[in-house]
Parts: sequence; C-alpha cells; structure tokens
Amino acid sequence: MTTAQPEFMSASVVSRFPILLFVAWRNIWRNPVRSSLTISALASGLIMVILYASLLEGMTRQMVHFATDISTSHMQVHRQAFIDDQDLYATLPWSYLEKIQQAHPSIQVSPRLYAAGLASSSTTSTGVLIKAVDPKTEPDVTQMLQHVRHGKLNLDIADTTENGVQRYNLVIGAQLARNMKVKPGDELVLVTQAADGSIGNALYRIAAVLKPLEPNFDRMGVLMSIEAYQQLMYLQDGFHELAIKVAEMKELASIQDTVANKLKQFAQEKSLDELGGKAVVRNWRQLSPAVADLLEMSKAFVFIIGFIIISLASLGMLNTMLMAVHERTHEFGILLAIGMKRRWLLLMVLLESFFLALVSAVVGSLLGLVINDYFEKYGIDFSSAMPDGYDWAGMIFEPVMKGYLLPADVFTASIMMIMITMLASLIPSWRTVRLKPAEVMR
Amino acid sequence: MALLTLKDIGKRYRQGEVEVQALSGINLEINEGEFAALVGPSGSGKTTLLNIIGGLDAASHGTTQLNNIDISALKEAQLSDFRLFQLGFVFQSYNLVPVLSALENVELVMVLQGRHKKECRQRAHHYLELVGLKEVMQRRPSALSGGQQQRVAVARALAAGPRLVLADEPTANLDSENATALLDIMHTLSHEDKTTFIFSTHDPRVMDRAERIITLQDGKIVNDQEHHHEHSDKHEHIN
Ligand SMILES: Nc1ncnc2c1ncn2[C@@H]1O[C@H](COP(=O)(O)OP(=O)(O)OP(=O)(O)O)[C@@H](O)[C@H]1O
Ligand SMILES: [Mg+2]
Repeated sequence: MTTAQPEFMSASVVSRFPILLFVAWRNIWRNPVRSSLTISALASGLIMVILYASLLEGMTRQMVHFATDISTSHMQVHRQAFIDDQDLYATLPWSYLEKIQQAHPSIQVSPRLYAAGLASSSTTSTGVLIKAVDPKTEPDVTQMLQHVRHGKLNLDIADTTENGVQRYNLVIGAQLARNMKVKPGDELVLVTQAADGSIGNALYRIAAVLKPLEPNFDRMGVLMSIEAYQQLMYLQDGFHELAIKVAEMKELASIQDTVANKLKQFAQEKSLDELGGKAVVRNWRQLSPAVADLLEMSKAFVFIIGFIIISLASLGMLNTMLMAVHERTHEFGILLAIGMKRRWLLLMVLLESFFLALVSAVVGSLLGLVINDYFEKYGIDFSSAMPDGYDWAGMIFEPVMKGYLLPADVFTASIMMIMITMLASLIPSWRTVRLKPAEVMR
Repeated sequence: MALLTLKDIGKRYRQGEVEVQALSGINLEINEGEFAALVGPSGSGKTTLLNIIGGLDAASHGTTQLNNIDISALKEAQLSDFRLFQLGFVFQSYNLVPVLSALENVELVMVLQGRHKKECRQRAHHYLELVGLKEVMQRRPSALSGGQQQRVAVARALAAGPRLVLADEPTANLDSENATALLDIMHTLSHEDKTTFIFSTHDPRVMDRAERIITLQDGKIVNDQEHHHEHSDKHEHIN
C-alpha cells in the first residue's frame, strides 16, 4: 500500500456533509437518557402548543359559528339609516327579497324586522327589542329557531281571547324570561310606537324561551313572526335586514361583491327614498368586528404563547448541548488537530441539535395529534359548572370546549420549535469556534 | 533538503505578570523517514515544540517549514488543511471518537480528506491489520484496551498518508510491555511507509526504540544524537 497523497479535493462542506451527519446522529445516542429527556421536554412543549392552538381554534370556530350560523348569518343587507340609528322607516322593498335571491343561485336569504317596545307581564314591565323573522325561511340562514330551551317553537297565532282578539305566539330570551318571571304559556303585552305614529299594543302568548345565543337578545329579545310584526307596527312596505347565507365560506367575498353590484343596479332601476340611505351589504366580519378582531388576536396569542412555551422548552436543549459540548472539549480538540475544520465541527454540533429538534418535532406532533383527537371528539366539559356556557366580550361560548386542529398549525409550531431550538443551540456550538486544539495535547 | 526545518523557534507564554520562556533558539532539521524521539524532563518544552510543529500553536519567534511550506505563515483554514493532509497526530490518550468504531475512527480522517469510500475502507482495513486489530475493528473505543486504542490512533494517523506523524507521549498511559509494542509498530510502519515520526517520551525503554534522540532542557536543545538500538527487528504484537 502506498502513501500516495490523495488528490486535494476542494474541502467543501457539501461533500463532508454525510460523514458529519453520521457522526452527529451517533452522538445523539451517546447519552440516551439525556437525549430522551431533552426530546421529552421539547416534545411536551410542542404538544402543549398544538393543544393550545387547537383549543383556541375550536373556540374561535365556536365564536364564528355563533356569530354566523346562529344570529347574523354570513352577510346582511341594510339601509344606511338603519345601520346608523335603527331608523324604523329605513326599509328595503319586499321586491328585493326575490331579486337578491336570484343574484346568486347558491345563496339563501331571509328578511328580518326590528322595533323597540315595552313588554308587560302580570307583574312587571321592561324595555324589549322586538325582532321579527320569517319562520319558514329563517332556518335557511340561521339556526336561531332551533335553540329552544323551554316550550315549543311556534310563531303562529296562538288563540283568540274572549273578546275576539287574536294572540300571536312569541319566543323570548332566557334572561328576559327570568327577569320578568314568565314561562311558556304566560301572556305578555307589548306596547310600542307603530310606523304611523299611533300606539301599537297587543296581547301575546309566550310559546318558547330561547337558549342564550347572543347577550343582547338573551336580555331583551322578543321574537315574533313578520306577520305579527306587521299587525303591531303597521309597517308593510319593506324589511330592515336581509340575512344571507352562502353555501361555501370561500365564496363569501365574491358573493358580497355580486350582491353589492346588484344593489347598485336595483337603485339605478328604481331609486330608494332619500332618507333611508343606500342599501349596504356587510359580511359577518364587518357585522361583528369584535369577533373578527378576537379571531385575529387569537392567532397572535397562539403565536406568542407558543413562542414562550417553546422557548422555555428549548432551555432544556441549551443545557443539553452546553453539557454535550463541554464534556467533549477534548474530543473536539482532537478532531480539530487531525484536520477537521471549525465550520465542519460547528455544523456537526448544529446537526446534533437539529436531530434532537427533529425527533422532538415528530414525536411531539404525533402525540399532539393523538391527544388532540380526544379534544376534538369529547372536548373539555364545563357544563356541570356552567350549563349555559359563558359569555365574554359580547360573545357566548358553549360549555364544552372542543379542539379544532389546523394541520398548518402543527407545521408552523414544529418549524417554530426547530428554529428556536437551533437558535438556542448556537450558544453552545459557538464554543467549538473558540476551542484551542493546543490544549488537548496537555 | 530536510523535510522539517525549524529556525530559531522561541515561545513565550504569559500568565498574568509572569512570562514563561517555554522554548528558545530551537534549530532543528528532520529528514524524511526519520524516527526521532523528543526527550527531556517535565516542563522542558516537548509538548510546546510538537504543538508548534503541528500548527496547533503559534511560535513567538522563528519559522517552521515542512516540505517547503512555511507553517508559521499559514492561516487557520490553511493550517487545518495542512494538518488534514500532511500531518498525523497521536496523543497521550482518548484519541478516538467514542461513538465511532475503531474502523470508523480510522476512516474518518480519510473521509474528511475527501477520499472515496472504497479507498477509505481498504486503507483502514490494511492499517488496522498492520497494527494487529483486524479482529476488533468493529468495536468502539470503550471496548478496547488502552494499548489497542493507541494502536487505532497510530493506524488512523498513518492511513491518512501523512508526511509527518507527531506523537506526544503516545505511551504515557501504557504499561511498558504495551509501550514497547506500540513503539515497535510505529517503527515498522515508519519504515514501510517512509513516514517520518517525531514522538516525545519520558520512558527510557521507549526512547531506546528511537533512531535519533533530541534532548530538551529548559526550552533548549541540549543534545541531539543518532541512536542505534538493538531491538529494532523484534516485533512482538500484543493483542
Ligand atoms: N498555556 C500555557 N501557559 C503558560 N505556560 C505554559 C503553557 N503551556 C506550557 N507552559 C509552560 O511552558 C513550559 C513547557 O511546557 P510543556 O508542556 O511544553 O513541557 P513538556 O516538556 O511537554 O512537559 P511534560 O513532560 O510534563 O509534558 C512549562 O514551563 C510550562 O509550564
Ligand atoms: Mg508534555
């Protein structure tokens, strides 16, 4: 065998990468207990972030669900004056109903009317918000009518009193029912100022009490049919609000544009009265800016909390790598002496951290997915403590918190973990750069 | 033309206010194929000198030339290439990467040199066989005796095909039987491969194997002579 000099290949990192990778991989299993502890710490951090993201996403989905499916639906059309000061006369013509429905084949629409009034039971009176819906089309746009707590949903004529007056059925909010001490079957008198300026008043029968859906309605909402509303208010020529539900959320923006264009076109064909202002279509984000903001915030929240959790977990990595580098000072000195370049050594140590981070990411993601599965199926149940759920910042949350995991969140969290731990391991790896190989001779 | 030429090497260490003159006025020439021992009492500067030759430490004064390359003028990156391709090192102990087998340890330097995988494997096998470790080459260092570990280090140094092998007290942690056996292996290989060896030692029995003995004292060469020894043809391999 000769001692012929090898051809001096350019000593590139790329060609040395496989051997560095190999040695780094071996080094991870040098101290299996320590590596396992590091991996558990990082994986636990990742699991926490994944579950946190999942629960928060679940909560925001619930919020959106409440905001859209239960009360506002996806879009609403109003007159500007109604938006500005609930102007009773700022109505949209009934002809719009069909015309907007035709604007896009996949949408569903339902009209609504509002008024303020005074409700009296046999014992008390209180200010109420009257909301009139079409019991036939409302279920197409929201699930409001399905959320009955007591009684049976019915907005038809209930009965006729001894003196021949027809009584319509009403549905009221849970808090209002409690405050007025009324229950299904009880009688309620509503007094209001009708559209013609006269005092409208009528007798009603409470058919049902709704579950809390929206704090305002819960406290002062009274629901009746449009027919009943028209008899009470003498307001025939239009409606205040058109709720629109789209088939696919992703079409929301384009449908909103279509509807807006249609509204412009209708106004050109036959202009609306000046006072009511023009017709405006808004999507649920515009209608519930608080929900939209909270949604944005919750994303930032996940990010910040995730960053903190992972940073804490990566301290474990920092410690591991500090120890690993420290106890191998002599070995690194030997490697430098026999011709290993510092940047290769640095790369090797970084690869070691990377392997630990990668294994942690895989373990954490998989376990996170498994645990999340439970959270998605069963959730965390607070219903024994809070059967109605709780309302916070004008939103109502269900008593069962359920997870909803976005695959992208798992990916982002894993990448974030790998990046943070790699940053943390820069500190110990930097020691290899300052190592003096002469020391190892001694 | 000598392989290694040291001209007026001096080395001062500063420790706070105190200055230590570890080496001064060292002039030395080592020819290709020499098998030289560096001896002298503790603190005489053996390690310091080997470190300077190996480019692990910089001299405060003088020049070091190996094969017409001025080592003292090389930059860090060039130095590591220089060590990778021209030098072999055998240290006192813990020479090997613990997570790699004996075979992988020997291959490592050659892989870093950029040699082809097959060539690395062949050469590693060859040198491990020469040092008598063919049977245990799949073992990790922790499963090898001190003497075996040092022999792996010698195989590693030589397999890379260096011009010069530096060994700082390679036998310090070995019993005298293992020590002389290691020296005999080094000696044989030096002859076969025409590789130049400089090693330091305290051990008279090890010294005895050298062909040239350079004696240091207080950082100066006080004696430098050819040495003819009797045991050079007795190679006992201890496994
Ligand atoms: N890093 C350093 N800082 C200060 N002084 C040093 C340093 N390294 C070595 N010295 C000093 O330089 C002198 C030579 O040391 P060196 O290690 O070269 O001796 P040696 O011959 O190898 O000794 P030994 O046989 O004990 O290994 C000693 O006086 C030592 O104290
Ligand atoms: Mg020494």
